Amino acid sequence: MTSETVRVTSGTGIANRIPAVVPRYLPLLLLALGWEALTRTGLVPTSALPPLDTVARAWYELASSGDLWTNGVASMTRGAAGLGLAIAGGSLIGILMAWYKPVRAAVNPIVQFFYPMPKSALIPVMVLWLGFGDASKVVLIFVGCLLPVTLAAFNGARGTDEVLIWSARSLGASRARVLWEIVLPSALPEMLSGIRTALALSFVLLVSSELIVARQGFGYMIGWLGDGGAYDAMFAVVLTVALLGFAADRLYLMLVRRILAWRE
Amino acid sequence: MPDAAHIVIDRVSHEYRPARRRPVLALDDVSLAVGEREFLALLGPSGCGKSTLLYLVGGFLPVEQGAIRVEGRAVDGPGPDRGIVFQHFALFPWKTVMQNVLYGLEKKGLPREERLRVAREFIELVGLAGFEDSYPAQLSGGMKQRAAIARTLAIDPSILLMDEPFGALDAQTRSLMQAELLRIWQRSRKTVIFVTHDVQEAVFLAERIAVMSARPGHIKEIVEARFDRANPELLRSRQFVEMVDHVWNLVRGEAILAERSGAA
Amino acid sequence: MSEIETRFLAPPAATGIRLDLTGAVTRRAGAIVPLLAVIVAWEAASRSGIVTPFLLPPISAVLGRVWEDAISGELALNLGQTLFRSLAGFAIAGAGGVALGILMARRRWVRWFFDPIVSVGFPMPKIAFLPIFMLWLGLYDVSKISMAVFNAIFPVITATIAAAEGVDRPLLWSARSLGASERQLLREIILPAALPQILTGLQVALPISMIVMIVTEMMMGGQGLGGAMIAASRFADSPGVFAGIVEIAVAGLCLVKGIALLRGRLLAWHQETQEPTTV
Repeated sequence: MTSETVRVTSGTGIANRIPAVVPRYLPLLLLALGWEALTRTGLVPTSALPPLDTVARAWYELASSGDLWTNGVASMTRGAAGLGLAIAGGSLIGILMAWYKPVRAAVNPIVQFFYPMPKSALIPVMVLWLGFGDASKVVLIFVGCLLPVTLAAFNGARGTDEVLIWSARSLGASRARVLWEIVLPSALPEMLSGIRTALALSFVLLVSSELIVARQGFGYMIGWLGDGGAYDAMFAVVLTVALLGFAADRLYLMLVRRILAWRE
Repeated sequence: MPDAAHIVIDRVSHEYRPARRRPVLALDDVSLAVGEREFLALLGPSGCGKSTLLYLVGGFLPVEQGAIRVEGRAVDGPGPDRGIVFQHFALFPWKTVMQNVLYGLEKKGLPREERLRVAREFIELVGLAGFEDSYPAQLSGGMKQRAAIARTLAIDPSILLMDEPFGALDAQTRSLMQAELLRIWQRSRKTVIFVTHDVQEAVFLAERIAVMSARPGHIKEIVEARFDRANPELLRSRQFVEMVDHVWNLVRGEAILAERSGAA
Repeated sequence: MSEIETRFLAPPAATGIRLDLTGAVTRRAGAIVPLLAVIVAWEAASRSGIVTPFLLPPISAVLGRVWEDAISGELALNLGQTLFRSLAGFAIAGAGGVALGILMARRRWVRWFFDPIVSVGFPMPKIAFLPIFMLWLGLYDVSKISMAVFNAIFPVITATIAAAEGVDRPLLWSARSLGASERQLLREIILPAALPQILTGLQVALPISMIVMIVTEMMMGGQGLGGAMIAASRFADSPGVFAGIVEIAVAGLCLVKGIALLRGRLLAWHQETQEPTTV
């Protein structure tokens, strides 16, 4: 079996994908069965690990009461806003850094210095500045995700094949057109992979900041459900967030494959 | 037919089965005998299966149809009796020239003093004295290939398998290396199978040339090319030029076929 | 003239890896200017009263606070705790991830079992499992380090699998034909050949371990830089919060540069210019 770890199976028709998917994800099913068996037999107390079916029931209740939905929307809106701003800002700064030397000289040291900083350290500062609400999360995600996107765009644009630029210039393209038609597409693969990193990071920052200080959102729900001892519901929300993160990554990869179709 | 068959390839076919694609018949019913101490070239257009045949003799790919015997014994996996030199050198990049050459000698279990002596001897033979402590990344293409040849010769295989060994070198280096190889071969007299798509190279080096057809590969014709290679005027001699012309005409049609099927 | 054009018109030596020390020195010196500008702007902003000192205490006050922490021993204690836990988590994730990655690349059933788990686990925001770790393992080192391992191991596993499977066939064949056994092949060829990519995975894992440790400390409290920061923010002690940021930023920078240096050492034989993308 030659399955990939990071890439998704790229089969075309749904019909011929199903038989491959079932045995591929069988170990996950085994894991779920093991979970259920551990709790059913009493090997693990249900206070530490609620049985899977109670988790499912708790999920259903949270979903039908609307709690999951309102908190989920709050979280996803924050994540999307912060990430969207970071993508726009980071791409712009990165490409400008590659294209104009003064920009690079001024910005690069700052990027290089702050890039390795563990971004979660910004959480208390954001609270200090912007309080417990949406703004502190959006700005946190924006600031945290900005540098990975910037650096990826910079490296991608910097790696543009000079021969391509020469060809375009000799065919009469203006500098602005070269930037738009040559540099941007050349930078795209690396930019898209930087954005993938940022996507994962945005989830981490979102959940962390909501766990630590928030009045709404998935992380907040996980926190108060855990504090109240409603572990089945807490597990339900944890799994929901985890699966959403996974799904977002898969959707993003599908999008990237479509955007980069010209590469194959 | 040469004196005694050292390598016998008996009705060998080979199919590649790439994942999620249709299997490809690379070799179709190939039979060939190579004599003791003979220099044989396998010549054909790219994709004709000549490297596949070499890998089968080397024991790197399993023989599924037909049989390959070396000194009367069926090939079953790689062995130190068949040394191989690859187009892209395959030197261990984290080892120096000396350490690369020593690698096979260590596996042979020679005493330390002896290993060093043999390694030095072969490094000198290929003209790399003074570069023992260089890493492959610090060497030119020609020097890398010299190191790879020294590594292979040092374990004293009776058969030398060469997979387009000079294909990655520039034209000047290539003709230098060809002369060098002839010099070494005349001193050590091993059985050589030399894969190439360069007609002049094949005629210059080999005593016999097996011309292969486009895919699925089979032996189209075997040409004898016994010249006095000590003659410095050989390349300009009428005999030589006519032989190149003859072999070129054999290959030409196949190359066109290969080009078309490659495009399809 | 654009950066790209200059680069192409410059002599080839200038675009490759620069080894000349004077060049490196001038680049360093030039790099300080923008950072100094940031510092000066920070100080000026908070002194001029554009922002209140609560929102942005002057950097002199923040550095003074770092100094006080250093004298009182507070800094060494918190920094030591955070570094110990992050590095312990990183080391376990590194060793475990490489071992599992190699096993997955070489044993079919191991691959079959772990492949879906890794491919689902890799992109998951594993930080969401933090309360579950608190529930199971408590609030102390075991739980914090386990959380770091759980987060940092995935990039190591995926990098190791890709590396072990991507080893050049001629390299393996050469070693086999020179007489290497299966076991020697793994130790002498596959591992060193996979090392660059494995190190890349480790370079991704180290900052993850740090990020997660800071969050974990903020959640669970106790000693450590994250705990100290969250305590400072509870008491509205804004110089304390910013001192925490400075300390964490410098610690992160040192760790990331340290591992990059180590990479250069280990891969002296390897030609490369590109640094891996980390978070």
